[in-house]
Amino acid sequence: MDGDRYRRHELIDWFSQDRLRASSVAVVGAGAIGNEIVKNLALLGVGQVDIYDFDNVEVHNLTRSVFLREADIGTGKAAAVVRRASEVDASVRLRAIEGDFWNRLSLGRLSRYSCAIGAVDNFEARIRLNQMCLMAGVNLVNAAIDSRRAVIESFPFGDSWGGACYECHLPETAYARLAERYSCGGLRRRAQAARQVPTTAVTASVAGALAVSTALRFGETGDARQSARRVLTDTIAGTSTAVDLGRNAACAACENLAARPAIVRARNRWSVEPELAAAGAGAMHQVLRLSDALLTGYECANCGPLAQAAQYVNRRAADFDDSIATCPRCAAPAVRVEIRQRFELRDLVERFGDRPVPAKFAFADIGGRTICFDFEDED
Amino acid sequence: MPNELSLVVRTADQTRRAELSVDSQSTGADIIQAAVDNWALPADTDYTLVNATTGRALTPGESLATAVRPGDVLEVQPVLVAG
Repeated sequence: MDGDRYRRHELIDWFSQDRLRASSVAVVGAGAIGNEIVKNLALLGVGQVDIYDFDNVEVHNLTRSVFLREADIGTGKAAAVVRRASEVDASVRLRAIEGDFWNRLSLGRLSRYSCAIGAVDNFEARIRLNQMCLMAGVNLVNAAIDSRRAVIESFPFGDSWGGACYECHLPETAYARLAERYSCGGLRRRAQAARQVPTTAVTASVAGALAVSTALRFGETGDARQSARRVLTDTIAGTSTAVDLGRNAACAACENLAARPAIVRARNRWSVEPELAAAGAGAMHQVLRLSDALLTGYECANCGPLAQAAQYVNRRAADFDDSIATCPRCAAPAVRVEIRQRFELRDLVERFGDRPVPAKFAFADIGGRTICFDFEDED
Repeated sequence: MPNELSLVVRTADQTRRAELSVDSQSTGADIIQAAVDNWALPADTDYTLVNATTGRALTPGESLATAVRPGDVLEVQPVLVAG
């Protein structure tokens, strides 16, 4: 039965069903493109497909998402996709991971995938997935659409080092748009509704097809090896442009990465015996850059120190919005909020001790090499 | 003029196209801004510039002098973000 199923695939000279069966793919985003990607991966007989999404199904998703039905409204998107995609080929191992991939996916787990495909719907998530794949050395496909176009970008971080990453070609205007979502203190603004971009099943299916086709080519060697590349297809004009993406020496994400970072699995606890701290006094000044910005200070310009600081300080800045900048005592928008991402080791020891730092990973430049400390509490 | 560069700029759907001479020290961002202004492209979209002749994308701050030769065709592409 299984042999019959893939007989037509076996007639394709460049196609290895065994290689596909041995591969595993992380699909980040179970929206319109994510549905199409999972459909193609399941039909092709990829061994393992993990689908990450935090969102629930809404009625407007039903016009673009091949696996979603009315009965799924209000339920998790990733689980709904897995339910229907399992009917395509029961031998494909499909898994729904609900929640924000930033919280659910460690670098260690990411590094075990053959590739990741990003089908999310905002710049922040795309930037974060790019950062994770860059660190973990995992091949990445970035897929996006609007109402008439589909774009696919390939970043073969796993196959070769030194090429462009997603942020290398992100224009300043995109960062400016992102900055609009944050107050000058660095807190997320309230009531910043995300811009709604119209999309269609047509562009989603084109993007899903091209994304999987691109993912299939990873791992090739010699002249067939991929470099970072973008294909933009206009489904109405019928035009398509393919370009190479060169590395940007001023890139916000990879500028300082001269070589592939070394990943070190680290216990996320910060207590140090006093004798050890004394012996390694120099090391205690080592600067670490955390994956997440932390709120480190909370004080009203009018009232001084606030008891509420205990609720906020040493937690992730992303967990709060600018409503906390209004003083709970004098009701003036006068709270000075300090947010930092860089810390000396001794600072983290003092702040956290036996508690975990609320960050995903940290990196440090040690001996001319970037070391990434992956906090893998969940695994 | 040694500092002038003649080139063609078009939109990704190829419905807009212009032949122009620009200062070779201009950046991709300058060309994009001119395209958005002159062709009334949607202002709520971000754009990137690619050299369709060489098959290479320009990085955001790259000057045309290093990435474009006379007669090259530059394409203004939207940065898509929806999934």
